[in-house]
Parts: sequence; C-alpha cells; structure tokens
Amino acid sequence: MATTKRRIQRIAAAAIAATTVFASGGQVSAVTTTASTAPDTTRSLTVAVSTEPSTLDGQVANDRNARVITGNIFESLIRRDREAALSPGLATSWETIDEANWEFVLREGVTYHDGSPFNAESAAYSINRMLADDFETQRGSYIEGIVSAEATDEFTVVVTTDGPNAVLPLQMAQVPMVPLDAGDEINSEPVGTGPYAFGEWQRGQSITAVRYDDYWGDVPAIESFTVRVIPDAQTGLAALQAGEVDLVLDILPEQVDLVPQVASVHATEFSYIAFNTYKEELSDPAVRIAMNLAVDKELLAETVYSGFARPNQAQHLTPESLGFNDEVEAYPYDPEGAREMLAEAGYPDGFAVTLNVPIGRYLYGEETVQLVAQQLGDIGLDVEVREWEWNEYREAGRIPGTEEGAFDLKYGWNSNEWFDPARVASHVTCDGGSSKICDEVVDENFAIGATTLDQTARDEAYQTAWAQLHENPHAIYLLQQDLIYGLAEDLVWEPRLDDEYYVAEMSFS
Amino acid sequence: MGGSSDLVTVRGRVTRSDADDVTEEDGPVQASTPIARRMAWAGRSTVAGIVLRRARDGAITLVLVIVVIFVLTNVVGNPALVYAPVDASDAEIARIEAAFGLDRPFLERFGDYFAGIFRGDFGNSNWQQRPAIDAVLEALPATIQLSILGIAGAAFFGIVGGVLAGARPNSRLDRVTNFLSIGALSVPNFWLGLLLIFVFAVRLGWLPTSGRIGWNSIILPAATLAIVHGGRIFQLVRSATVEEMSKPYVRVARSKGFSDRQVLTRHVLRNTGLTTATIAGWEYVRMWGGAAFAIEFVFAWPGIGTLMINAAHRQDFFILQAAVIVAGAFVIVSNLIIDLMYRAIDRRVGAA
Repeated sequence: MATTKRRIQRIAAAAIAATTVFASGGQVSAVTTTASTAPDTTRSLTVAVSTEPSTLDGQVANDRNARVITGNIFESLIRRDREAALSPGLATSWETIDEANWEFVLREGVTYHDGSPFNAESAAYSINRMLADDFETQRGSYIEGIVSAEATDEFTVVVTTDGPNAVLPLQMAQVPMVPLDAGDEINSEPVGTGPYAFGEWQRGQSITAVRYDDYWGDVPAIESFTVRVIPDAQTGLAALQAGEVDLVLDILPEQVDLVPQVASVHATEFSYIAFNTYKEELSDPAVRIAMNLAVDKELLAETVYSGFARPNQAQHLTPESLGFNDEVEAYPYDPEGAREMLAEAGYPDGFAVTLNVPIGRYLYGEETVQLVAQQLGDIGLDVEVREWEWNEYREAGRIPGTEEGAFDLKYGWNSNEWFDPARVASHVTCDGGSSKICDEVVDENFAIGATTLDQTARDEAYQTAWAQLHENPHAIYLLQQDLIYGLAEDLVWEPRLDDEYYVAEMSFS
Repeated sequence: MGGSSDLVTVRGRVTRSDADDVTEEDGPVQASTPIARRMAWAGRSTVAGIVLRRARDGAITLVLVIVVIFVLTNVVGNPALVYAPVDASDAEIARIEAAFGLDRPFLERFGDYFAGIFRGDFGNSNWQQRPAIDAVLEALPATIQLSILGIAGAAFFGIVGGVLAGARPNSRLDRVTNFLSIGALSVPNFWLGLLLIFVFAVRLGWLPTSGRIGWNSIILPAATLAIVHGGRIFQLVRSATVEEMSKPYVRVARSKGFSDRQVLTRHVLRNTGLTTATIAGWEYVRMWGGAAFAIEFVFAWPGIGTLMINAAHRQDFFILQAAVIVAGAFVIVSNLIIDLMYRAIDRRVGAA
C-alpha cells in the first residue's frame, strides 16, 4: 500500500516535472530540481477545468474556467475579501464626489508583468477600453451606467456615471486593469498586475502561470500553477485520484467519498420555483404561501443533495448579500397548515398547475421537481411536470405572465455574484424580464436601491422588499446549493464565497 | 464462382501457373462478398480513373456534408438565441442576430459561407476568437495520430487473433479469443476508456490518466480504440479465415503434404488479404465517424473530437461546422487511399 502511494507520488512528481518542462520551455535544470526535491515549496499546483477558456483577456472573459487563470493574473481597483465584502484592491480608497462622479485613489508602486507602471493613466485606459462600443465582453453588466474614466493626477482616477449608480463599487471589482494600449494580443498572452504572470497556453490542453516576483502584495507560497483542460468529469476525478491534478471544481455530492479531500462552501447559487401570479388560482398570496409550506426543504437538501445544500431563507438571494433580511425565516414544512390555507382560499380540492423544468441544466433539477410535485400533490394540487429542452425552456420562460403559454410554475436557479439585490431586480419587479409578479412595495424599494448612493439606505430598502415578498411570495423558495471541490490530500485551501480561485490563498502542507 | 474466374481473366496478365500454386484450379479470389465485387469493379480501371471517379464522388459527398451541417446549425436552431444571455431582451437578440449576419436570407448566408470555404474562410469562432479553421487544423494532427495508432493496434490484434482462431475453429484458443473479442466490441467505448484509466492510471499508476503531455499519454486512448475496433476486425477476419480453410483447395494442399502453417501463410492469408484490408479500412473510417471522438473526450485528448464536443457546448457553430467538414474531407480522402490500397494488394495477389 505504502509503495503504491509512493509510486503515485513519484508519478505525480514526474507529471509535474513534465508540465514544468512545457512551462519553462524545456529548461532541463528546472525538471531535475522539481523531481528530486519534490515536496511542498517547489511543488506546482494543477487545477482541472472542464472547458478551455475562450479568451484570457480578463476584461472579456467571465466564465469560471477562464477566471481560474485571469483571476490570478489580473486585478481590479476593488476586490472582495473572504466574506465577500468590498475591500481595497488596486485602489486604496474611493468616494463619491457628486451624484455622477466617483474618485478612486490608486495604490502606488504597482507594476504590470511587462514592467510598465500602474497609474491613473493606465487605470482610466483600462476602464475606457471596456466602454468602447465595439468591445465585445461577457462582463457587460459591470460597465452598465458608466460613461467614462479620466486620470486627474498620477494616482487619482475619476469615473463618471450616467446618473446615481449605487453599484459602481461592485462593478469596479470586476473591471480588470490592463497595461496602456493593450491590444488583442492579451487574448492569448494576458498581462496584468496580479500575483501570477502568464506562462504558456497549449491550446486544447493546458495553461500555465508563474509567480510574479515584483508583486506589490504578499508573495504567494506556490511558485507556479497549471490549468489542465479535462472535459470528462469522471476523468477529472481519476486525475485527482492519480495525483495528476490537485484541485477539481464541481464534484458531485455522490462523488465526495472518492476524492482525497473535500471542501465545500455555501455558494451564491439558489434554486426556486417562480409563480405566475397572473394566473387566477395563483393570484392569491395565501395560495402561494400554502405552496411554500407544502415543500419540505430540509428533506430535499438531505436526500437529493446529500446535505450539500441548505434551505433558502425565503429570499431571492443568499445571506452574504447586501439587503439580506435576517429576520425573514424560511417557511416551515407544514402540509396540514397548507391544506387549511388552500381550503380557506377557496380551493379545498386543489387545482391544476404545470411545473416546468429544463432537462440536464441544473444539478438534480429533475429530481427536485419530482419531489416538489409529489409534495404539492399531497396538499391536493394536480401538478403536471413538463420537461423542456433548454433553449425551448428559455424561449417559453420569457412569455409574460398575462399571455397564453406562460409557465404556471418555473423551476430555475439564480446566482448573485454581485452580492447585491440590484442583480436580481428583473425577477421580482413589475417590468422585470423574468418576473411574473407586480408588487408596489417591492417596486418602490427596488427603485430606492437602484438610485440611492447611501449603502445603508439601500440595505434597508431591500430588506423591506424581501419582507414584503415573504407575505406576497413570488416563488417557492427552495435551496441554497453548495459548491463542492475535490482537493489533493496536501492542498490547503478554503473555498471562497465569490467563486474566485486565488492561488495566492492556496498552499501545500 | 463465375465472378472469380472473371477476375482472373479480365486482368489478363495473371498467369498463376507456379508449380506449387494450387489456387489456379480452385478459384483464387472469391467474389462472393460485396467487397470483392467492388474490388472486381475497381480492378477494371486504371489508377487515374479510380482517383478521378472517387474524387468526383467525394466532392459531391462533401458538398452534401456542407449543406446538411449548415442547415442543421442554422435552420433547426437559432444560433443567436443560444448565444444570448438568459435574460436577454428581444432587442438584444436582434442585435446578436445582426452581429452574426443572421438577419439576412438563408440562401444568401449559405452562399457566403460556401464561397468562403473556397478561400479557406470557415468563419470566426466566437468561442476561441480566431478563425474556426485554425482551431480545427491545430487539433487535426492529434486525432490523426491517435486514430492511426488505434487502427494499427486494432489491425494487429484483430488479424493475428482472427487468423489463428479461424485456422482452428472450435479450438480452445478460438473459443477464448472469440469470447474476448465479442466482449471487446460489445462494451461502450467510453466505459472501456474509464475502466482502463481506473486500472492503469489510478490503481497501478503506470500511465497518465489523460491529456497529451508525455509520449505515454497516447497509450491508453489508443489501446481503447484498438480493443473496440480490434474486436470487430477479429470477428470478420476469423470468419473469412474459417470460410477459406474449408475451401477444397486447402484440402488439396493438405493432401499434397503441405503443413498447416504453409497452407495458412502461402494461400489462406493471401486470399483473405483483401477482405482483411477492407475491414481494417472500414474500421478506420468508422473511428472518424465518432468512436475516436468519444475516446478523445474521455481522455482529454486535444483532437477534433474534443474540440467538436466543446464547441457544441459553447454554441460555437463555426468551429462545429469547420470540424465536421474537415473530418468529412478526411474520411473521403481516407476512402480513396483505401481504394488504392485494395488495388495494390490485389496486384500482389495477382503477381504471386
């Protein structure tokens, strides 16, 4: 047994040595040192991702497989700390000058990986680069409402918005800084200010980054890391078991016993079943509350998700978010009470509804819907489950609640990487594209949240809105799902709430 | 068989009168199979004729491939809708349609695409942000490498095993290998791949699980292909050998005192050679019909199979189209080469 283990370690060391050969462009000396002094400090990290990033331009890419690389190479003016709160990044402080202007004071002594200095000029250039009309980016939501940026002195930049923009700080946490006159080549050879600099991209296979020695902050423990593209989840797991990779994203709950070490975090992802409140039977809030009472969220979390989920606290966001109302409780499981409420509302014999779910889109979505349908059936409803191909589901899901063909009940997931309710306004406001509810109180408070710059006032407004939505629910609130990771035995890392993968926060024991 | 004597006389130059060659009386090449008939047909033509005719057929097929893949991606689905964010408004979708040129009439778009292909322009990948054909051509060598090693392994196991088993039907060797080969061709290929990964990479630690990192990365995926396709080659070679061994000339040869080994190597192998080559060729093409792609995905082998599957996930129609067309062209060219190979083997049979 011990020899097998040692052999695996040797193979792992050899695999790392092999990756190092590619990373260093064939410097043989690097290989021998890595192979002979295998442990800890010189050990390189390998992360498995399922799909290759489309681009390594941090201003363009926003999918997680890309962020595993770009999040370590690029930095923004603001960053989130481990509690997901906004904290200084490349800017040391920021404040509003007036309703439409924000001043950011920048960190001094920061350089890009190409040696050029980071200053207000390059910061303003970076922001304006994303604002250009022809700039195609997955980060479009982070520049909405921003008009321009201007350097006012060497280390001060002023960002102008098209009106009061309460979410500008969180937007600035997702606008990576690039060097002056960065061209399209940063698609494939990214240059940022982060703790790791780009190494090599072997298309279809792997991307490597190496520690940046002139980094302004603390020097990371791990010298270099490689992102390997392993599309098949089973193979990714096998690579982790064989010691070829140290971190696998998205382990399934039933796989946790197969990995050397498991880490999980309550993510910002949550599941819900949205009502069409324009449908006659569902227009009465009492009916919708009854349906919330009918579902056993604990059972769902324990059985379907093997405990890697917890009941959503009856809000369309997660507890770390601004505006979360801690006094709002998840609806208890009370089928008796639910039946009584239904009878009082005039439906002692229930009524018929359809419950719509996309196939193969959400982890255990179909299983969840079956269980919910059964429990709604227990209080007398006649639930028909309809499974949809994703694109058809999306199209049909867009039909407004007042029109023919609108979903009665729509199962879906949301995540809120903004940690701000402004992100989910379209799900609960009268005019929202995904909304099938209209509540004056909610709309008023979301309007305050959208235009007030005072974050405390916003927080209160949103809390009021969630309390209102607890009395007039827009959905059956289900679960907050965990992100589950498979780790090598000796990898030390606490997963982050914000779905970022900072190698600087990782080390080997 | 009438067909077989036809073949001999048509070719004219064949004499087959070596003293120890008993094949003459007994009909050397059986034309009872469609393969052999196709051979007989091809045998009438010159090399240039075959190349021209096959090139013409190939071009027609390729145009059909282009039409079908374009229709599938552009008419059956709406690329703009799958590319748009979940909450996209109608205006946003219209903007994406305009950006992709999807607001133009179908025939006009197809015409542009088709004309572009002749300039080597297969459109720009929105996933990789570079010309789609670049991504495909970059991945192609990995697939060729894997499929060639896979078919070499498959042919080796299939032919050696099939001949040995077929030479002594119902022997213990025959029964064991037959059982194994049926198993090999019955298991789902991706499952077999995962099994090999588990045994040889995770448990034993002899080989890497996946990727294309060191020289030994190719062993497991190629072995998977070799086992699955080798099983089928084995079955066909075995039955061809059994059939050949029951021919009267074999009995004659044996009665003249030739050893089994001599009969096998001098006569049976030559006469089953065509069938064998054809089967191996078909199996190779079959790999390009999907088997190699599934294996690539399982082993994270950076070939066009993995590329295509990822492109489909990424809704990248340009790479998907380019990959299908390039793979189609490759299969057509491979078929042509296989046709020419028949001829080469055929000649050797004749010249013997």
